[in-house]
Amino acid sequence: MKTKWFGFNRSELPLQHDKANLFLQISTAISVFLFVITLAAYFMISSVILSWNKNIIDGLTVQIMPSTDTLSAEENTMRINKVIMCVEGWSGVDRVRLISDQKIKKLMSPWLGSDADINALPLPKLLDVRLKNGKTFDYEAAKESLADVAPYASIDNHGIWLKKLIKSARSLKVLSLFILALVLTASVFSLFYAVGTSLRVHQHIIEILHIMGATDGYIAKQYAHISFVITFISALVGTIIAVVALFAVSMLSAGLESGLIGAASLTGTHWFVLCLMPLLTAVISTGMSYLCVKRTLGKML
Amino acid sequence: MYNLMYVVKKDNGGFMDTHKNMLTEPIVDLKNVCISYGKDPDVLSNVNLSLDKGSFHFLTGKSGAGKTSLLSMMYLALKPSKGTVFVFGSNIGYAGRDSMAMLRRRIGVVFQDFRLLEHLSAYDNVAVPLRIRGMSENEIKKRVKELLKWVELEQSMDKICSTLSGGEKQRVAIARAVINRPEILLADEPTGNVDNDIAAKLMKLFVELNKLGTTVVIATHSKDLIAEYNYPQIHLENKSVKVIPALRRSAHEN
Ligand SMILES: Nc1ncnc2c1ncn2[C@@H]1O[C@H](COP(=O)(O)OP(=O)(O)OP(=O)(O)O)[C@@H](O)[C@H]1O
Ligand SMILES: [Mg+2]
Repeated sequence: MKTKWFGFNRSELPLQHDKANLFLQISTAISVFLFVITLAAYFMISSVILSWNKNIIDGLTVQIMPSTDTLSAEENTMRINKVIMCVEGWSGVDRVRLISDQKIKKLMSPWLGSDADINALPLPKLLDVRLKNGKTFDYEAAKESLADVAPYASIDNHGIWLKKLIKSARSLKVLSLFILALVLTASVFSLFYAVGTSLRVHQHIIEILHIMGATDGYIAKQYAHISFVITFISALVGTIIAVVALFAVSMLSAGLESGLIGAASLTGTHWFVLCLMPLLTAVISTGMSYLCVKRTLGKML
Repeated sequence: MYNLMYVVKKDNGGFMDTHKNMLTEPIVDLKNVCISYGKDPDVLSNVNLSLDKGSFHFLTGKSGAGKTSLLSMMYLALKPSKGTVFVFGSNIGYAGRDSMAMLRRRIGVVFQDFRLLEHLSAYDNVAVPLRIRGMSENEIKKRVKELLKWVELEQSMDKICSTLSGGEKQRVAIARAVINRPEILLADEPTGNVDNDIAAKLMKLFVELNKLGTTVVIATHSKDLIAEYNYPQIHLENKSVKVIPALRRSAHEN
Protein backbone atom coordinates (compact mmCIF):
# COMPACT_ATOMS: atom_id res chain seq x y z
CA MET A 1 0.00 0.00 0.00
CA LYS A 2 2.78 2.38 0.93
CA THR A 3 4.78 3.60 -1.97
CA LYS A 4 7.64 5.89 -1.20
CA TRP A 5 7.48 8.93 -3.40
CA PHE A 6 10.12 11.39 -2.25
CA GLY A 7 8.79 11.00 1.28
CA PHE A 8 5.24 12.06 0.45
CA ASN A 9 3.57 8.82 1.49
CA ARG A 10 3.19 10.11 5.03
CA SER A 11 2.38 13.70 4.31
CA GLU A 12 -1.01 14.90 5.41
CA LEU A 13 -1.76 16.50 2.08
CA PRO A 14 -1.74 13.89 -0.72
CA LEU A 15 -0.19 16.43 -3.07
CA GLN A 16 1.65 13.80 -5.08
CA HIS A 17 -1.70 12.66 -6.50
CA ASP A 18 -2.94 16.11 -7.55
CA LYS A 19 -4.39 16.18 -11.03
CA ALA A 20 -2.77 19.55 -11.61
CA ASN A 21 0.68 17.99 -11.23
CA LEU A 22 0.76 16.57 -14.75
CA PHE A 23 -0.30 19.95 -16.10
CA LEU A 24 2.44 21.61 -14.08
CA GLN A 25 5.05 19.07 -15.17
CA ILE A 26 4.30 19.46 -18.86
CA SER A 27 3.99 23.23 -18.77
CA THR A 28 7.20 23.55 -16.77
CA ALA A 29 9.14 21.31 -19.14
CA ILE A 30 7.89 23.24 -22.19
CA SER A 31 8.47 26.64 -20.59
CA VAL A 32 11.98 25.73 -19.52
CA PHE A 33 12.75 24.33 -22.98
CA LEU A 34 11.61 27.59 -24.59
CA PHE A 35 13.39 29.62 -21.96
CA VAL A 36 16.72 27.85 -22.45
CA ILE A 37 16.54 28.07 -26.25
CA THR A 38 15.63 31.75 -26.13
CA LEU A 39 18.27 32.51 -23.54
CA ALA A 40 20.86 30.74 -25.68
CA ALA A 41 19.74 32.82 -28.66
CA TYR A 42 20.08 35.94 -26.53
CA PHE A 43 23.62 34.97 -25.52
CA MET A 44 24.57 34.24 -29.11
CA ILE A 45 23.19 37.50 -30.45
CA SER A 46 24.99 39.36 -27.70
CA SER A 47 28.34 37.80 -28.49
CA VAL A 48 27.86 38.36 -32.22
CA ILE A 49 27.13 42.03 -31.65
CA LEU A 50 30.16 42.25 -29.41
CA SER A 51 32.45 40.69 -31.97
CA TRP A 52 31.06 42.83 -34.79
CA ASN A 53 31.60 45.90 -32.73
CA LYS A 54 35.16 44.88 -31.93
CA ASN A 55 36.30 43.46 -35.25
CA ILE A 56 34.57 45.41 -37.88
CA ILE A 57 33.81 48.80 -36.53
CA ASP A 58 37.40 49.22 -35.45
CA GLY A 59 38.62 48.10 -38.83
CA LEU A 60 38.22 48.74 -42.49
CA THR A 61 39.42 47.22 -45.71
CA VAL A 62 41.23 49.00 -48.48
CA GLN A 63 40.80 47.43 -51.87
CA ILE A 64 43.53 47.84 -54.49
CA MET A 65 42.20 47.12 -57.95
CA PRO A 66 44.43 45.14 -60.28
CA SER A 67 45.88 47.23 -63.04
CA THR A 68 44.44 46.86 -66.52
CA ASP A 69 47.97 47.02 -67.93
CA THR A 70 50.41 44.21 -67.40
CA LEU A 71 52.94 45.35 -64.83
CA SER A 72 56.13 43.83 -63.57
CA ALA A 73 56.26 42.39 -60.07
CA GLU A 74 58.33 45.35 -58.93
CA GLU A 75 55.86 47.86 -60.29
CA ASN A 76 53.05 45.97 -58.60
CA THR A 77 54.81 46.06 -55.24
CA MET A 78 55.43 49.78 -55.59
CA ARG A 79 51.78 50.33 -56.40
CA ILE A 80 50.79 48.53 -53.22
CA ASN A 81 53.43 50.11 -51.00
CA LYS A 82 52.28 53.55 -52.11
CA VAL A 83 48.81 52.76 -50.77
CA ILE A 84 50.18 51.26 -47.56
CA MET A 85 52.25 54.36 -46.88
CA CYS A 86 49.26 56.58 -47.52
CA VAL A 87 47.07 54.53 -45.16
CA GLU A 88 49.71 54.49 -42.45
CA GLY A 89 49.74 58.26 -42.65
CA TRP A 90 46.13 58.56 -41.55
CA SER A 91 45.61 59.53 -37.95
CA GLY A 92 43.96 56.90 -35.80
CA VAL A 93 45.37 53.89 -37.64
CA ASP A 94 46.63 51.14 -35.39
CA ARG A 95 48.03 48.59 -37.83
CA VAL A 96 47.94 47.84 -41.54
CA ARG A 97 48.26 44.33 -42.91
CA LEU A 98 48.26 43.03 -46.45
CA ILE A 99 45.95 40.08 -46.73
CA SER A 100 47.74 37.18 -48.37
CA ASP A 101 46.56 35.75 -51.68
CA GLN A 102 46.07 32.49 -49.83
CA LYS A 103 43.54 34.10 -47.50
CA ILE A 104 41.80 35.92 -50.33
CA LYS A 105 41.51 32.63 -52.15
CA LYS A 106 39.94 31.11 -49.12
CA LEU A 107 37.55 34.01 -48.71
CA MET A 108 36.57 33.83 -52.36
CA SER A 109 36.21 30.08 -52.60
CA PRO A 110 32.56 29.96 -51.55
CA TRP A 111 31.80 32.07 -54.61
CA LEU A 112 34.33 30.65 -57.02
CA GLY A 113 34.59 27.04 -55.95
CA SER A 114 37.71 25.65 -54.31
CA ASP A 115 39.42 24.40 -57.42
CA ALA A 116 39.29 27.64 -59.37
CA ASP A 117 42.72 28.83 -60.52
CA ILE A 118 42.82 31.99 -58.51
CA ASN A 119 46.12 33.17 -59.95
CA ALA A 120 44.57 33.34 -63.36
CA LEU A 121 41.96 35.80 -62.14
CA PRO A 122 42.56 39.50 -61.80
CA LEU A 123 42.00 39.65 -58.06
CA PRO A 124 42.22 42.83 -56.03
CA LYS A 125 44.71 43.11 -53.22
CA LEU A 126 43.23 43.76 -49.80
CA LEU A 127 44.59 45.72 -46.87
CA ASP A 128 43.20 44.96 -43.47
CA VAL A 129 43.33 48.21 -41.51
CA ARG A 130 42.81 48.17 -37.73
CA LEU A 131 41.68 51.48 -36.28
CA LYS A 132 42.23 52.75 -32.78
CA ASN A 133 38.61 53.83 -32.66
CA GLY A 134 36.20 53.22 -35.50
CA LYS A 135 33.66 55.60 -34.15
CA THR A 136 35.90 58.69 -34.20
CA PHE A 137 37.82 57.81 -37.36
CA ASP A 138 37.49 60.39 -40.15
CA TYR A 139 36.44 58.33 -43.17
CA GLU A 140 35.96 61.36 -45.44
CA ALA A 141 39.53 62.65 -44.99
CA ALA A 142 40.88 59.17 -45.58
CA LYS A 143 38.87 58.78 -48.79
CA GLU A 144 40.16 62.12 -50.11
CA SER A 145 43.81 61.39 -49.38
CA LEU A 146 43.50 58.00 -51.05
CA ALA A 147 41.89 59.55 -54.14
CA ASP A 148 44.88 61.95 -54.41
CA VAL A 149 47.66 59.41 -53.96
CA ALA A 150 46.24 56.22 -55.46
CA PRO A 151 42.94 56.54 -57.31
CA TYR A 152 43.06 52.78 -58.05
CA ALA A 153 42.46 52.04 -54.35
CA SER A 154 39.23 52.49 -52.51
CA ILE A 155 37.94 52.18 -48.97
CA ASP A 156 35.50 49.38 -48.43
CA ASN A 157 33.66 50.68 -45.43
CA HIS A 158 31.44 47.88 -44.20
CA GLY A 159 30.88 49.88 -41.03
CA ILE A 160 27.79 51.44 -42.54
CA TRP A 161 25.86 48.30 -43.43
CA LEU A 162 27.23 46.63 -40.35
CA LYS A 163 25.73 49.32 -38.20
CA LYS A 164 22.38 48.48 -39.77
CA LEU A 165 23.01 44.81 -39.08
CA ILE A 166 23.88 45.52 -35.47
CA LYS A 167 20.73 47.56 -35.15
CA SER A 168 18.57 44.69 -36.34
CA ALA A 169 20.51 42.27 -34.14
CA ARG A 170 19.79 44.54 -31.21
CA SER A 171 16.09 44.44 -31.96
CA LEU A 172 16.35 40.63 -32.07
CA LYS A 173 17.95 40.84 -28.64
CA VAL A 174 15.04 42.91 -27.35
CA LEU A 175 12.64 40.43 -28.92
CA SER A 176 14.32 37.52 -27.17
CA LEU A 177 14.14 39.36 -23.85
CA PHE A 178 10.44 39.92 -24.50
CA ILE A 179 9.94 36.22 -25.20
CA LEU A 180 11.80 35.36 -22.00
CA ALA A 181 9.48 37.65 -20.06
CA LEU A 182 6.42 36.07 -21.70
CA VAL A 183 7.56 32.54 -20.91
CA LEU A 184 8.28 33.57 -17.35
CA THR A 185 4.88 35.19 -16.94
CA ALA A 186 3.10 32.16 -18.37
CA SER A 187 4.98 29.86 -16.00
CA VAL A 188 4.20 32.01 -12.98
CA PHE A 189 0.52 31.93 -13.86
CA SER A 190 0.57 28.15 -14.39
CA LEU A 191 2.19 27.68 -11.01
CA PHE A 192 -0.31 29.95 -9.27
CA TYR A 193 -3.14 28.17 -11.03
CA ALA A 194 -1.88 24.74 -10.00
CA VAL A 195 -1.28 25.78 -6.41
CA GLY A 196 -4.64 27.56 -6.18
CA THR A 197 -6.48 24.54 -7.57
CA SER A 198 -4.71 22.23 -5.19
CA LEU A 199 -5.51 24.43 -2.21
CA ARG A 200 -9.18 24.36 -3.16
CA VAL A 201 -9.16 20.58 -3.66
CA HIS A 202 -7.55 20.00 -0.27
CA GLN A 203 -9.42 22.68 1.61
CA HIS A 204 -11.04 20.18 4.00
CA ILE A 205 -7.67 18.65 4.94
CA ILE A 206 -6.14 22.07 5.40
CA GLU A 207 -8.99 23.00 7.70
CA ILE A 208 -8.40 19.90 9.82
CA LEU A 209 -4.69 20.65 10.00
CA HIS A 210 -5.42 24.21 11.05
CA ILE A 211 -7.75 23.02 13.80
CA MET A 212 -5.02 20.72 15.05
CA GLY A 213 -2.73 23.69 15.30
CA ALA A 214 -0.79 23.68 12.04
CA THR A 215 0.60 27.08 11.12
CA ASP A 216 0.31 28.39 7.58
CA GLY A 217 4.05 27.84 7.26
CA TYR A 218 3.65 24.14 8.06
CA ILE A 219 1.19 23.73 5.19
CA ALA A 220 3.13 25.99 2.84
CA LYS A 221 6.24 23.88 3.45
CA GLN A 222 4.50 20.79 2.11
CA TYR A 223 3.60 22.73 -1.03
CA ALA A 224 7.13 24.05 -1.34
CA HIS A 225 8.46 20.49 -1.07
CA ILE A 226 6.25 19.08 -3.84
CA SER A 227 6.85 22.13 -6.04
CA PHE A 228 10.58 21.62 -5.75
CA VAL A 229 10.39 17.98 -6.75
CA ILE A 230 7.97 18.53 -9.63
CA THR A 231 9.58 21.59 -11.13
CA PHE A 232 13.14 20.33 -10.71
CA ILE A 233 12.44 17.12 -12.60
CA SER A 234 10.40 18.84 -15.32
CA ALA A 235 12.92 21.64 -15.72
CA LEU A 236 15.70 19.06 -15.95
CA VAL A 237 13.84 17.34 -18.80
CA GLY A 238 13.18 20.66 -20.56
CA THR A 239 16.80 21.75 -20.18
CA ILE A 240 18.23 18.46 -21.39
CA ILE A 241 16.09 18.54 -24.54
CA ALA A 242 17.02 22.17 -25.15
CA VAL A 243 20.74 21.55 -24.65
CA VAL A 244 20.67 18.56 -26.98
CA ALA A 245 18.88 20.69 -29.58
CA LEU A 246 21.43 23.49 -29.19
CA PHE A 247 24.29 21.02 -29.59
CA ALA A 248 22.72 19.60 -32.71
CA VAL A 249 22.29 23.07 -34.20
CA SER A 250 25.85 24.08 -33.39
CA MET A 251 27.17 20.83 -34.89
CA LEU A 252 25.22 21.43 -38.08
CA SER A 253 26.32 25.03 -38.37
CA ALA A 254 29.95 24.23 -37.55
CA GLY A 255 30.45 23.46 -41.23
CA LEU A 256 29.43 26.95 -42.26
CA GLU A 257 32.50 28.89 -41.40
CA SER A 258 30.83 32.14 -41.94
CA GLY A 259 32.79 35.14 -40.76
CA LEU A 260 29.66 36.99 -39.76
CA ILE A 261 27.93 34.45 -37.55
CA GLY A 262 31.05 32.55 -36.58
CA ALA A 263 31.02 34.36 -33.28
CA ALA A 264 27.53 33.09 -32.55
CA SER A 265 28.73 30.36 -30.26
CA LEU A 266 28.19 29.85 -26.56
CA THR A 267 31.00 30.27 -24.08
CA GLY A 268 31.59 28.07 -21.07
CA THR A 269 29.87 30.61 -18.85
CA HIS A 270 26.84 30.57 -21.11
CA TRP A 271 26.58 26.78 -20.97
CA PHE A 272 26.98 26.93 -17.22
CA VAL A 273 24.11 29.40 -16.86
CA LEU A 274 21.91 27.30 -19.17
CA CYS A 275 22.64 24.15 -17.21
CA LEU A 276 21.77 25.95 -13.98
CA MET A 277 18.18 26.35 -15.19
CA PRO A 278 16.67 23.26 -13.51
CA LEU A 279 17.94 24.29 -10.09
CA LEU A 280 17.04 27.93 -10.67
CA THR A 281 13.54 27.02 -11.81
CA ALA A 282 13.01 24.70 -8.86
CA VAL A 283 14.23 27.24 -6.33
CA ILE A 284 12.10 30.04 -7.76
CA SER A 285 8.95 27.89 -7.99
CA THR A 286 9.50 26.59 -4.49
CA GLY A 287 9.69 30.09 -3.10
CA MET A 288 6.74 31.23 -5.14
CA SER A 289 4.45 28.38 -4.15
CA TYR A 290 5.41 28.88 -0.52
CA LEU A 291 4.42 32.54 -0.70
CA CYS A 292 1.32 31.81 -2.76
CA VAL A 293 0.09 29.26 -0.20
CA LYS A 294 0.80 31.56 2.73
CA ARG A 295 -1.03 34.42 1.05
CA THR A 296 -4.04 32.28 0.15
CA LEU A 297 -4.25 30.69 3.60
CA GLY A 298 -4.20 34.14 5.15
CA LYS A 299 -7.73 34.51 3.82
CA MET A 300 -8.89 31.13 5.16
CA LEU A 301 -10.03 29.81 8.55
CA MET B 1 -2.89 -1.34 29.87
CA TYR B 2 -2.30 2.18 28.76
CA ASN B 3 -0.92 4.05 31.67
CA LEU B 4 -2.34 7.53 31.76
CA MET B 5 0.25 8.60 34.27
CA TYR B 6 2.75 8.07 31.49
CA VAL B 7 0.94 10.75 29.54
CA VAL B 8 1.28 13.19 32.38
CA LYS B 9 4.75 12.48 33.67
CA LYS B 10 6.27 13.02 30.27
CA ASP B 11 4.34 16.19 29.70
CA ASN B 12 6.52 19.22 30.03
CA GLY B 13 4.30 22.08 29.07
CA GLY B 14 0.77 22.95 29.77
CA PHE B 15 -1.79 21.41 31.85
CA MET B 16 0.00 20.58 35.07
CA ASP B 17 0.43 24.30 35.62
CA THR B 18 -3.11 24.80 34.50
CA HIS B 19 -4.24 22.37 37.13
CA LYS B 20 -2.60 24.40 39.85
CA ASN B 21 -4.53 27.59 39.13
CA MET B 22 -7.65 25.69 38.34
CA LEU B 23 -10.01 27.96 40.14
CA THR B 24 -8.56 31.32 39.25
CA GLU B 25 -9.51 32.16 35.68
CA PRO B 26 -11.98 30.48 33.31
CA ILE B 27 -10.27 28.55 30.50
CA VAL B 28 -13.10 29.34 28.09
CA ASP B 29 -15.11 32.50 28.49
CA LEU B 30 -17.90 33.56 26.14
CA LYS B 31 -19.31 37.06 26.58
CA ASN B 32 -22.57 38.03 24.84
CA VAL B 33 -21.75 35.72 21.98
CA CYS B 34 -24.00 35.21 18.97
CA ILE B 35 -23.47 32.50 16.37
CA SER B 36 -24.98 32.72 12.91
CA TYR B 37 -24.23 31.39 9.46
CA GLY B 38 -24.32 34.00 6.73
CA LYS B 39 -27.60 35.88 6.72
CA ASP B 40 -29.49 33.09 8.50
CA PRO B 41 -31.02 33.94 11.89
CA ASP B 42 -28.82 33.33 14.93
CA VAL B 43 -28.22 29.71 15.93
CA LEU B 44 -27.35 30.92 19.42
CA SER B 45 -27.78 34.45 20.74
CA ASN B 46 -26.29 36.32 23.65
CA VAL B 47 -24.51 33.38 25.16
CA ASN B 48 -22.58 33.98 28.37
CA LEU B 49 -20.66 30.93 29.43
CA SER B 50 -17.45 30.28 31.28
CA LEU B 51 -15.74 26.95 31.79
CA ASP B 52 -13.38 26.55 34.68
CA LYS B 53 -10.08 24.84 34.23
CA GLY B 54 -10.38 21.14 34.94
CA SER B 55 -14.17 21.09 34.65
CA PHE B 56 -16.18 18.36 32.90
CA HIS B 57 -19.44 19.14 31.10
CA PHE B 58 -21.89 17.35 28.91
CA LEU B 59 -23.25 19.46 26.08
CA THR B 60 -26.86 18.62 25.33
CA GLY B 61 -29.71 19.88 23.21
CA LYS B 62 -31.90 18.77 20.35
CA SER B 63 -30.47 18.06 16.94
CA GLY B 64 -29.84 21.41 15.31
CA ALA B 65 -29.71 23.21 18.65
CA GLY B 66 -26.15 24.34 17.93
CA LYS B 67 -23.91 21.93 19.85
CA THR B 68 -21.45 21.47 17.01
CA SER B 69 -21.53 25.20 16.33
CA LEU B 70 -20.71 26.04 19.92
CA LEU B 71 -17.89 23.51 20.02
CA SER B 72 -16.40 24.78 16.76
CA MET B 73 -16.29 28.23 18.24
CA MET B 74 -14.41 26.82 21.22
CA TYR B 75 -11.87 25.10 18.97
CA LEU B 76 -11.46 28.40 17.14
CA ALA B 77 -12.85 27.31 13.79
CA LEU B 78 -15.87 29.58 13.95
CA LYS B 79 -15.89 33.27 14.76
CA PRO B 80 -18.83 34.67 16.70
CA SER B 81 -21.03 37.07 14.75
CA LYS B 82 -21.22 39.17 17.91
CA GLY B 83 -19.56 39.15 21.30
CA THR B 84 -16.15 38.17 22.61
CA VAL B 85 -14.51 34.80 23.03
CA PHE B 86 -11.64 34.25 25.47
CA VAL B 87 -9.75 30.96 25.34
CA PHE B 88 -6.82 30.43 27.71
CA GLY B 89 -7.31 34.04 28.66
CA SER B 90 -6.67 35.31 25.11
CA ASN B 91 -9.24 37.33 23.26
CA ILE B 92 -9.34 35.36 20.02
CA GLY B 93 -10.73 38.32 18.13
CA TYR B 94 -7.30 39.90 18.37
CA ALA B 95 -5.10 36.80 18.02
CA GLY B 96 -2.84 36.61 14.97
CA ARG B 97 -2.82 33.55 12.73
CA ASP B 98 0.24 31.95 14.27
CA SER B 99 -0.84 32.56 17.84
CA MET B 100 -4.24 31.05 16.97
CA ALA B 101 -2.34 27.96 15.79
CA MET B 102 -0.48 27.82 19.08
CA LEU B 103 -3.76 28.10 21.03
CA ARG B 104 -5.32 25.34 18.91
CA ARG B 105 -2.45 22.99 19.74
CA ARG B 106 -3.61 23.03 23.35
CA ILE B 107 -7.11 21.87 22.36
CA GLY B 108 -8.04 18.32 21.40
CA VAL B 109 -11.07 17.86 19.15
CA VAL B 110 -13.17 14.81 18.30
CA PHE B 111 -15.40 15.73 15.37
CA GLN B 112 -18.90 14.38 15.02
CA ASP B 113 -18.00 13.16 11.52
CA PHE B 114 -14.44 12.17 12.59
CA ARG B 115 -12.73 14.16 9.82
CA LEU B 116 -9.81 11.78 9.58
CA LEU B 117 -7.27 12.06 6.79
CA GLU B 118 -8.70 9.18 4.80
CA HIS B 119 -5.62 8.52 2.68
CA LEU B 120 -3.38 7.96 5.71
CA SER B 121 -3.07 4.97 8.01
CA ALA B 122 -4.56 4.96 11.49
CA TYR B 123 -1.04 5.38 12.83
CA ASP B 124 -0.29 8.41 10.68
CA ASN B 125 -3.60 10.03 11.57
CA VAL B 126 -2.87 9.82 15.26
CA ALA B 127 0.65 11.09 14.60
CA VAL B 128 -0.51 14.28 12.85
CA PRO B 129 -0.75 16.57 15.92
CA LEU B 130 2.69 15.44 17.05
CA ARG B 131 4.21 16.00 13.61
CA ILE B 132 2.66 19.45 13.55
CA ARG B 133 4.49 20.09 16.81
CA GLY B 134 7.71 18.88 15.22
CA MET B 135 8.25 15.93 17.54
CA SER B 136 10.87 13.33 16.59
CA GLU B 137 9.64 10.21 14.79
CA ASN B 138 11.02 7.99 17.56
CA GLU B 139 9.04 9.72 20.25
CA ILE B 140 5.97 9.76 17.99
CA LYS B 141 6.23 6.02 17.46
CA LYS B 142 6.37 5.33 21.16
CA ARG B 143 3.38 7.48 22.01
CA VAL B 144 1.17 6.56 19.08
CA LYS B 145 1.68 2.82 19.46
CA GLU B 146 0.91 2.94 23.14
CA LEU B 147 -2.26 4.93 22.69
CA LEU B 148 -3.47 2.82 19.76
CA LYS B 149 -2.96 -0.26 21.90
CA TRP B 150 -5.14 1.30 24.56
CA VAL B 151 -8.00 2.02 22.17
CA GLU B 152 -7.61 -1.57 20.90
CA LEU B 153 -6.46 -0.64 17.44
CA GLU B 154 -2.95 -2.03 17.38
CA GLN B 155 -3.98 -4.64 14.81
CA SER B 156 -5.38 -1.98 12.47
CA MET B 157 -2.56 0.49 12.98
CA ASP B 158 -1.30 0.30 9.40
CA LYS B 159 -4.69 0.16 7.75
CA ILE B 160 -5.64 3.12 5.60
CA CYS B 161 -8.43 5.03 7.34
CA SER B 162 -10.90 4.79 4.49
CA THR B 163 -10.96 1.01 5.06
CA LEU B 164 -11.76 1.21 8.79
CA SER B 165 -15.20 0.63 10.30
CA GLY B 166 -17.18 3.49 11.85
CA GLY B 167 -16.27 2.47 15.38
CA GLU B 168 -12.60 2.09 14.48
CA LYS B 169 -12.58 5.51 12.89
CA GLN B 170 -14.13 6.97 16.01
CA ARG B 171 -11.38 5.51 18.15
CA VAL B 172 -8.71 6.83 15.78
CA ALA B 173 -10.36 10.26 16.02
CA ILE B 174 -10.32 10.09 19.82
CA ALA B 175 -6.72 8.92 19.92
CA ARG B 176 -5.77 11.81 17.64
CA ALA B 177 -7.56 14.25 19.95
CA VAL B 178 -5.83 13.13 23.12
CA ILE B 179 -2.35 12.25 21.83
CA ASN B 180 -1.22 15.82 22.42
CA ARG B 181 -2.37 15.77 26.08
CA PRO B 182 -4.68 18.71 25.45
CA GLU B 183 -5.67 21.21 28.10
CA ILE B 184 -9.16 21.31 26.63
CA LEU B 185 -10.86 18.29 25.10
CA LEU B 186 -13.94 18.94 22.97
CA ALA B 187 -15.70 15.80 21.82
CA ASP B 188 -18.75 15.80 19.56
CA GLU B 189 -20.76 12.57 20.05
CA PRO B 190 -17.61 10.57 20.74
CA THR B 191 -19.33 7.33 21.67
CA GLY B 192 -22.04 7.25 19.03
CA ASN B 193 -20.56 4.50 16.88
CA VAL B 194 -19.05 2.06 19.34
CA ASP B 195 -20.45 -0.77 21.44
CA ASN B 196 -21.10 -0.29 25.14
CA ASP B 197 -17.84 -1.83 26.31
CA ILE B 198 -15.73 0.41 24.18
CA ALA B 199 -17.92 3.39 24.99
CA ALA B 200 -17.30 2.77 28.69
CA LYS B 201 -13.59 2.48 28.07
CA LEU B 202 -13.49 5.72 26.09
CA MET B 203 -15.47 7.51 28.80
CA LYS B 204 -12.93 6.23 31.30
CA LEU B 205 -10.22 7.80 29.15
CA PHE B 206 -12.00 11.14 29.26
CA VAL B 207 -12.59 10.90 32.99
CA GLU B 208 -8.94 10.02 33.65
CA LEU B 209 -7.75 12.87 31.48
CA ASN B 210 -10.09 15.17 33.36
CA LYS B 211 -8.70 13.98 36.68
CA LEU B 212 -5.28 14.91 35.39
CA GLY B 213 -6.45 18.45 34.66
CA THR B 214 -7.96 18.48 31.20
CA THR B 215 -11.10 20.53 30.78
CA VAL B 216 -13.63 18.30 29.01
CA VAL B 217 -16.81 19.08 27.06
CA ILE B 218 -18.70 16.17 25.52
CA ALA B 219 -21.65 16.74 23.24
CA THR B 220 -24.05 13.86 23.44
CA HIS B 221 -27.61 12.73 22.89
CA SER B 222 -27.18 9.72 25.15
CA LYS B 223 -29.37 9.91 28.25
CA ASP B 224 -27.63 6.82 29.64
CA LEU B 225 -24.28 8.49 29.49
CA ILE B 226 -25.55 11.63 31.18
CA ALA B 227 -27.27 9.59 33.88
CA GLU B 228 -24.27 7.39 34.52
CA TYR B 229 -21.73 10.14 34.97
CA ASN B 230 -22.56 12.83 37.39
CA TYR B 231 -21.34 15.90 35.56
CA PRO B 232 -22.97 19.27 34.90
CA GLN B 233 -24.74 19.86 31.61
CA ILE B 234 -24.57 22.75 29.22
CA HIS B 235 -28.01 22.61 27.72
CA LEU B 236 -28.89 24.42 24.49
CA GLU B 237 -32.47 25.39 23.91
CA ASN B 238 -34.20 28.25 22.10
CA LYS B 239 -30.91 29.78 21.00
CA SER B 240 -29.71 30.12 24.56
CA VAL B 241 -27.55 28.27 27.03
CA LYS B 242 -28.48 26.91 30.40
CA VAL B 243 -26.00 25.27 32.74
CA ILE B 244 -27.56 22.50 34.82
CA PRO B 245 -25.34 21.75 37.81
CA ALA B 246 -24.46 18.14 38.49
CA LEU B 247 -25.72 17.83 42.01
CA ARG B 248 -29.06 19.46 41.47
CA ARG B 249 -29.63 17.42 38.36
CA SER B 250 -28.89 14.12 40.06
CA ALA B 251 -31.00 15.10 43.05
CA HIS B 252 -33.81 15.98 40.70
CA GLU B 253 -33.48 12.82 38.68
CA ASN B 254 -32.93 10.32 41.45
N1 LIG C 1 -21.82 25.44 7.84
C1 LIG C 1 -23.10 25.79 8.08
N2 LIG C 1 -23.72 26.64 7.25
C2 LIG C 1 -24.99 27.02 7.48
N3 LIG C 1 -25.72 26.60 8.50
C3 LIG C 1 -25.17 25.74 9.38
C4 LIG C 1 -23.83 25.29 9.21
N4 LIG C 1 -23.53 24.46 10.22
C5 LIG C 1 -24.64 24.39 10.98
N5 LIG C 1 -25.61 25.14 10.48
C6 LIG C 1 -26.95 25.32 11.08
O1 LIG C 1 -26.80 25.69 12.43
C7 LIG C 1 -27.74 25.02 13.23
C8 LIG C 1 -27.05 24.29 14.35
O2 LIG C 1 -26.31 23.24 13.80
P1 LIG C 1 -25.34 22.33 14.66
O3 LIG C 1 -24.64 21.43 13.74
O4 LIG C 1 -24.53 23.22 15.52
O5 LIG C 1 -26.39 21.52 15.55
P2 LIG C 1 -26.13 20.30 16.52
O6 LIG C 1 -26.70 20.69 17.83
O7 LIG C 1 -24.71 19.92 16.50
O8 LIG C 1 -27.00 19.16 15.86
P3 LIG C 1 -26.75 17.57 15.88
O9 LIG C 1 -27.17 17.09 17.23
O10 LIG C 1 -27.69 17.05 14.83
O11 LIG C 1 -25.34 17.33 15.58
C9 LIG C 1 -28.53 24.12 12.31
O12 LIG C 1 -29.75 24.73 12.04
C10 LIG C 1 -27.71 24.03 11.06
O13 LIG C 1 -28.54 23.96 9.94
MG1 LIG D 1 -23.66 18.32 15.84
